Amino acid sequence: MTVDVILNGRATTLEARSDEMLLPVLRRQGLLSVRETCGIGVCGACTVLLDGEPVSGCLMLTAAAAGREITTVEGLDEADPVLRAFNEEHAFQCGWCTPGFVLTVKAMRPGDDVREALGGNLCRCGCYVKIEEAVRKCAT
Amino acid sequence: MDPRVTADLRYSVEVERPGMLHAAFVRSEVPHARVTVVEPPDLPDDVVLLTPEDVADLGLYGCQVKDQRVLADTARHVGDVVAAVAAPTRAAARAAAKSIEVAYKDLPAVTDPLAAVAPGAPLLHAQAAASAKDAVSIDVRPIPGTNVCHRFRIRHGDVAAGFADAEVVVEEVYRTAGAAHAPMEPHAALAEWEDGKLTVWSGTQTPFNTRADLAGAFGIDPERIRIIAPPMGGSFGAKTFVRLEALVAALARKAGRPVKAVLDRAEEFVTLNRHPAIVRVRLGAKRDGTLVAKEVDCWVDTGAYADCGPGVATKMGYAGVGPYRIPHVRVDSLAIYTNLPPNGAYRGYGAMQSVWASERTMDLLARELDMSPLELRRRNLLRDGDVFATGEVMHDVHFDDCLQAAADAVDYEADPRGKGLCVLLKGMQTPSRAAISVERTPVGFVVRSASCEMGQDVRQSIKLMGAELLGCEPGQIEIPDPDTDTSPFDTRTTSSRSTYMMGRALREAVADLERDGERGFGEVRNEGGLDPDTGQGIASTHWHQGAAAARVTVDEDTGRLTVEHVHAAVYAGRVVNRAGAELQNEGSMLMGLGTTLFEAVEFADGQVTNANLSDYNVPAFGDLPRLTHELIEREGAEVHGLGETALPPIPPAIGNALATLGAHVTELPITAERVLEALER
Repeated sequence: MTVDVILNGRATTLEARSDEMLLPVLRRQGLLSVRETCGIGVCGACTVLLDGEPVSGCLMLTAAAAGREITTVEGLDEADPVLRAFNEEHAFQCGWCTPGFVLTVKAMRPGDDVREALGGNLCRCGCYVKIEEAVRKCAT
Repeated sequence: MDPRVTADLRYSVEVERPGMLHAAFVRSEVPHARVTVVEPPDLPDDVVLLTPEDVADLGLYGCQVKDQRVLADTARHVGDVVAAVAAPTRAAARAAAKSIEVAYKDLPAVTDPLAAVAPGAPLLHAQAAASAKDAVSIDVRPIPGTNVCHRFRIRHGDVAAGFADAEVVVEEVYRTAGAAHAPMEPHAALAEWEDGKLTVWSGTQTPFNTRADLAGAFGIDPERIRIIAPPMGGSFGAKTFVRLEALVAALARKAGRPVKAVLDRAEEFVTLNRHPAIVRVRLGAKRDGTLVAKEVDCWVDTGAYADCGPGVATKMGYAGVGPYRIPHVRVDSLAIYTNLPPNGAYRGYGAMQSVWASERTMDLLARELDMSPLELRRRNLLRDGDVFATGEVMHDVHFDDCLQAAADAVDYEADPRGKGLCVLLKGMQTPSRAAISVERTPVGFVVRSASCEMGQDVRQSIKLMGAELLGCEPGQIEIPDPDTDTSPFDTRTTSSRSTYMMGRALREAVADLERDGERGFGEVRNEGGLDPDTGQGIASTHWHQGAAAARVTVDEDTGRLTVEHVHAAVYAGRVVNRAGAELQNEGSMLMGLGTTLFEAVEFADGQVTNANLSDYNVPAFGDLPRLTHELIEREGAEVHGLGETALPPIPPAIGNALATLGAHVTELPITAERVLEALER
């Protein structure tokens, strides 16, 4: 089947099986920031923004994204304040989970609790202290 | 901007080759059985099936004991790979793997290390030959006719006389569960044969060890094997030695096309875990707190294959002595086969399990002596010129500074209630060798090194050291991925050795470049090793040193343990890469926190029952306590490795803090149930 979406600001037609999740479909589009890790929606490494809200690409049916706006880290430019804050605070080690964190932070609203908002993103390298600093930096 | 932030870094899972097939594995459903693989009549024509008969010509492999077949004709754990398929897509490969029938002829299984060394226990390996010395820094000492693939001993002084001389003796047995490394990126490897030459792209910390082991298994010259190691999305020891490489190489050989494998999350839990261990400590002292004698016994569950279990058992053995002057020491550490998935290198390499036991026992002794745990440690810490239990003379030691810094961070001396301390010594791979090359280019320099990138930022550390030595900007130095065809030899990227060893080799290489003008080569070796029968020799030419302190509270009704503050102090000598070093401390501490509070691979009849990231929890943001740390530097000091040092002291610091509140828990993780049980005792 085909699914029309706005992908990183451009009208795009995705080719997908009817039971296929967004994660493999976006990777086939060359969007390698979306990463398969747990496969069950608990780690956040395949986070994408759907109409600005973070969702797990491994649990989101591609068909359900029809007509909606999908953002991945490839759609951000280097002036993006969240990317810059992560870079400046060195809030990453292996970098695998970083895109998921960046997108979740982008969806945060003023007053959101950092630890609660990022509770669904796992970083096994253990960069939480520096990620928290990066988020504070974005807020100011 | 760093490519890891913009998602421009390409990992091992993303390597592709034209015409490649995708692999899937058929895994044993039982812990111990003779297996027969049955090819289904309707297997699609484009699926390649690899059975044990296809690999009958291949030799055994294993980094320290050659005990593993490329495909198991006898399955030794649930999840052992008994057949493999390759197909044009991953989905087709998985479907084909599911269609393969396996007939099992069950054998008796043993899944507990104590049962595995009891008389009459079923044997896993009739006989296993020690591996070539390429990957081993120890002489392996199997006990024939048993499941012990290695036993390490320390014999220092006269322990019987020491205990006779002791005025106070304490003794306890401790257990630690197995843990999953759970790197975010799973294991991935791709193999391609061309004109009898094998190339493998693999997310690995050990390209040269992998090349040597594959050369043995395939019976070809190591020069005909090329290992390229792209960056990894985390490893923590999981991606060491041969994991998927032999399987994809054998599949590619049969298919005549490149074959790639990427594990799914459940497969990670049956591929390599951390050694569960039982450690018994007996410690004797004079009334004034002077330590006189210590006995340490370790039962180290290495699972179905030895992997580096002998090395882990050795390190667990000597780390269990602790950074103390003790005239009489006996250590016996056994690496034991069981019908569980193999256990291998895990950040800390065995130190955590015995430091947990040793440092909890120090607090038991302090209580018996009615002495401050801080004062007891201070009185016995190794100082420069002291002799360790291995007979080596200690040099460049700063245990005192680490311990004091940790104690001060939680205001330990003002009020020790609810607080705990730990100080540790951890060795670096000895002997080992590191080489590096530098070439001048029109725009800067190319530095070639087999130090593998897994998030520890080793490339940035090499660039920073290189820039200082070469008088250029770090950005003018290019570092290609490790490649055994072009990178000079390095023992491996483990044991927190890269910055220290590569830094020294780089100094040589730059001096050589200055002589040559165009290119330079540098190599350093550290010599030593321990006699496995006596534990005498040089355990480490360079000591990793650290301490931790914790402050905790406990809910006596529910058993819920809350870590309010944890602090680590690590001796760095000189910090090369500030952000990278801080992240090593923070990451080690968080991993230590998971190990302390909830991480455990659970089994039922040899089957992992929590093989996913929902049932197996790793620390999340909500688990973050107040977490502080420091890197201790000294003017003119040598660089010290610090990639793992802050992990092992976390569990004992928390356990000791909890004990001051009335709960002496001896088993990790410290679950609420265990706290309640301990409070009731």
